[in-house]
Amino acid sequence: MSELLLEIKDLSIIYSTEDGLVKALNNASLQLHKGESLGLVGETGAGKTTLARGIMRLIPNPPGKIVGGEIFYEGKDLLKLKDKDMRKLRGQQISMIFQDPMTSLNPVMTAGDQIREVILAHNPGMSKKEGRKQAEDMLEMVGINASRYDNYPHQFSGGMKQRVVIAIALACNPSLLIADEPTTALDVTIQAQVLEMIHDLKEKNNTAMLLITHDLGVVAQNCDSVAIIYAGEIVEYGTLRQVYKKILHPYTEGLFGSVPSLDTTSKRLNAIDGMMPDPTQLPKGCKFADRCKYAEKRCQERNPELIELADGHKVRCIRYEHEGR
Amino acid sequence: MENNTSEILRVSHLKKYFPVPAGMLHAVDDISFAIDNGKTLGVVGESGCGKSTMGRAILRLHEPTSGEVYFQGKDVLSLDKKGMKELRRDMQIVFQDPYASLNPRMTVSEAIAAPLLVQKIYNRKNKADIEKRVKEIMNMVGLANRLINTYPHELDGGRRQRIGIARALALNPKFIVCDEPVSALDVSIQAQILNLMADLQEDLGLTYLFITHDLSVVKYVSDDILVMYLGQMVEKAPSDKLFKKPMHPYTQALLSAIPIPDPDLPMNRITMKGELSSPINPGIGCRFAKRCPYAADSCSQQEMVLTEEEPGHFVTCQRVQRGEI
Amino acid sequence: MEENSTPKEVVQEKKQRSLWDEAWRRFKKNKTAMAGLVYLSILVIVAITTTVIDWVTKNQVYKNYIIKQDLLHRLKGPSAQHIFGQDEFGRDIFLRMLWGTRYSLFMGALAIIFALIIGGFLGALSGYYGKRVDAIIMRCMDILLAIPSMLLATAIVAALGTSLVNVLIAIGIAYIPTFARTVRASVLTVKDRDFIEAARAIGCDDSEIIFKYIVMNALAPIIVQATLGLAGAILSIAGLSFLGLGIQPPTPEWGAMLSNARTYIRDAWHVTVMPGLGIMLTILSLNLMGDGLRDALDPKLKN
Repeated sequence: MSELLLEIKDLSIIYSTEDGLVKALNNASLQLHKGESLGLVGETGAGKTTLARGIMRLIPNPPGKIVGGEIFYEGKDLLKLKDKDMRKLRGQQISMIFQDPMTSLNPVMTAGDQIREVILAHNPGMSKKEGRKQAEDMLEMVGINASRYDNYPHQFSGGMKQRVVIAIALACNPSLLIADEPTTALDVTIQAQVLEMIHDLKEKNNTAMLLITHDLGVVAQNCDSVAIIYAGEIVEYGTLRQVYKKILHPYTEGLFGSVPSLDTTSKRLNAIDGMMPDPTQLPKGCKFADRCKYAEKRCQERNPELIELADGHKVRCIRYEHEGR
Repeated sequence: MENNTSEILRVSHLKKYFPVPAGMLHAVDDISFAIDNGKTLGVVGESGCGKSTMGRAILRLHEPTSGEVYFQGKDVLSLDKKGMKELRRDMQIVFQDPYASLNPRMTVSEAIAAPLLVQKIYNRKNKADIEKRVKEIMNMVGLANRLINTYPHELDGGRRQRIGIARALALNPKFIVCDEPVSALDVSIQAQILNLMADLQEDLGLTYLFITHDLSVVKYVSDDILVMYLGQMVEKAPSDKLFKKPMHPYTQALLSAIPIPDPDLPMNRITMKGELSSPINPGIGCRFAKRCPYAADSCSQQEMVLTEEEPGHFVTCQRVQRGEI
Repeated sequence: MEENSTPKEVVQEKKQRSLWDEAWRRFKKNKTAMAGLVYLSILVIVAITTTVIDWVTKNQVYKNYIIKQDLLHRLKGPSAQHIFGQDEFGRDIFLRMLWGTRYSLFMGALAIIFALIIGGFLGALSGYYGKRVDAIIMRCMDILLAIPSMLLATAIVAALGTSLVNVLIAIGIAYIPTFARTVRASVLTVKDRDFIEAARAIGCDDSEIIFKYIVMNALAPIIVQATLGLAGAILSIAGLSFLGLGIQPPTPEWGAMLSNARTYIRDAWHVTVMPGLGIMLTILSLNLMGDGLRDALDPKLKN
């Protein structure tokens, strides 16, 4: 395994809202090695985006607040960094792609200039002309003709805009890319193109990626390891093969059962009943117990720890606690 | 007693054009199909291919430009206002966005009772009977009776979509246009709603026109599938046949772009060139030709015709028709 | 599982509230808006009470106190007996202001309701049907809007003659375009939502859709506009009276009182300040309340 790039330890984030305290993320721990891709899978409100914003220290405060944990990036604790240093790190070494390409571009600036802006910001002293050349190279790299440098965002289609967003994110050659549902707003054929492009660029630059999505298929085709997140907690974590081939947590099982498979002819899906608990009133015990078909009485009483099995596969479920090492 | 396999809906040469400043937008261009009673026709295509417009044109929510729609032998497009209002008891629609498709000022019971009152099935004063019927429908779609006086904004997406389905079911329709009913929902909730819709179809003998962009969903729900591209139909076949042997190059590319949630099945993508072209004044010929890896010059010169290449399997690709691919 | 579902259900029950309830909850938190509401409530009570007193006493109080002159004590400053002082004819300013409340308030409200009904109807037609209907109605509104509302009202009163009803009509007409525009804009934002299509799919006809679905959802901005419009209408009534085109003396209308008193502004400050203050506070309250309503009702409802 290559060098450790990012290590998140027990990160907890809360939001105080009108309806009460929302524990958006509870004791999340993740590791990401150089060049590795980690898929973070969960449903709306599970805390995926909160985690991503937490790493970038972009949690809007108020109402949000990081209440505990550490984030080590190349050995430095990001939470202890000065704002100025953090800003420098963002964009220069850590980049983020947001879900909606339509709103993350500045509508009154040409696509090319938006890329150049990032390049110039991270290369003080570079001339505008040189910046433009590099920006044009970036456009070509994401599959857009350099002649479209002077086009405005509205002149691009959705898929093209997302490519521009990706070009901006990769313009400074980051070592970590956080992609928050980068293809959710796109059609399947365009999604395929964009994912392939991200994959190629990643390989070329040895960029590590945290890919946030709700789509198990996207993760299977693009990631090395997977973390499943539910109600603010990581419930299962392991390599792609571990999680996909040896499903441990009942929620993961439910997620896989919920996706209509292309090769079965069954007329019913193995759906999970019920819904995610109200984030202001999280149960004391296991967060998934209410919807779990294996739930026992003890599940309601105590929240299980995330335990590591012998092969490094981690799971947060009471049924495996005796197997932990 | 009606024959179980009888045809319930026949659409022929349906066209819907919208005048836009740049010319004529061919949203739906010459679509023909028939659905048998109790079956599901899936309509797939990418955003902007006209699939939603087609669903609405059949219900005359958008007045079609030309073509014919026969529902149980009745010519839908020639009906007057009164006849159309009567027909709406039999033909209903479920919308994609459960947030936008419910009146925020109406409680659950008001929303479900609205069709009953509008169609004068119950008298407004007959509160007890209405409530009884509303509760009956709520049970049918799995909404707890205690939610009867809640407003949509207090409920989550899954429950809202259940209200949308309940509203459509209130009039005991025979045919429902399902316009991306699960696209806005989380995976686990999506599975619940798909199961519900399958159960309802079986219990009530419903016929669905199921519009979606998600190929795994369409495979799961449909008996027959119609693939649309830029307003035109490119292929129509029984569900299993289409997935086993897609004939049209567009269908092939579409199927190959689905990310499969299995790390052992690497994707074999057929990457398409470019993106959707514009459906404004498209001219003659195959609209997919510009992106098609097999395109020949003749493709953009000849008018497309739908031919039956194999029993039940229709395709418009000229090169397939000539046996070239 | 069962034990766990009980508290959740309680939460569900407690949370059941309509959008109006939620708006009220937000409105209550806004202190300045609440102050405005309290002040206006007092005015409404005063207006109703004085009307009832007149009705019960067959105008005796009105004749004996409100318009009865006391020339010996003209322009006398505030005292324990007359807390706002006495005017140029020795009448009690405080009582006259109480009696004048109803003219400002009720006439303002009537004018706004008049404008709201006609303007709202035109705006709804214009927004819903669009195209030619929209073009014709909105161009007419533009013409009305091009003339300053005060000037328009003055012109109408001048043409029709001074009377209560004419003042009302004049101000009402001047406010029609504002409401037509507000309603049209809200109709436009609501009309393309899916639930309108859903209503059509269950067989609702146009009038049902406009009134039950569109107008119900467009109410918030209309209410806000009506509150702010009321402030303007009250000011217009006072303004017309001040110019001598509105309510005629000796009726104790605030604007008329201000107008009559301005001759004595050098000798007796209270004669102008008191009615002026009354007008100002009323307008301020309405504006504060309108702002509060906008914050409470406007978008970002939930989701």
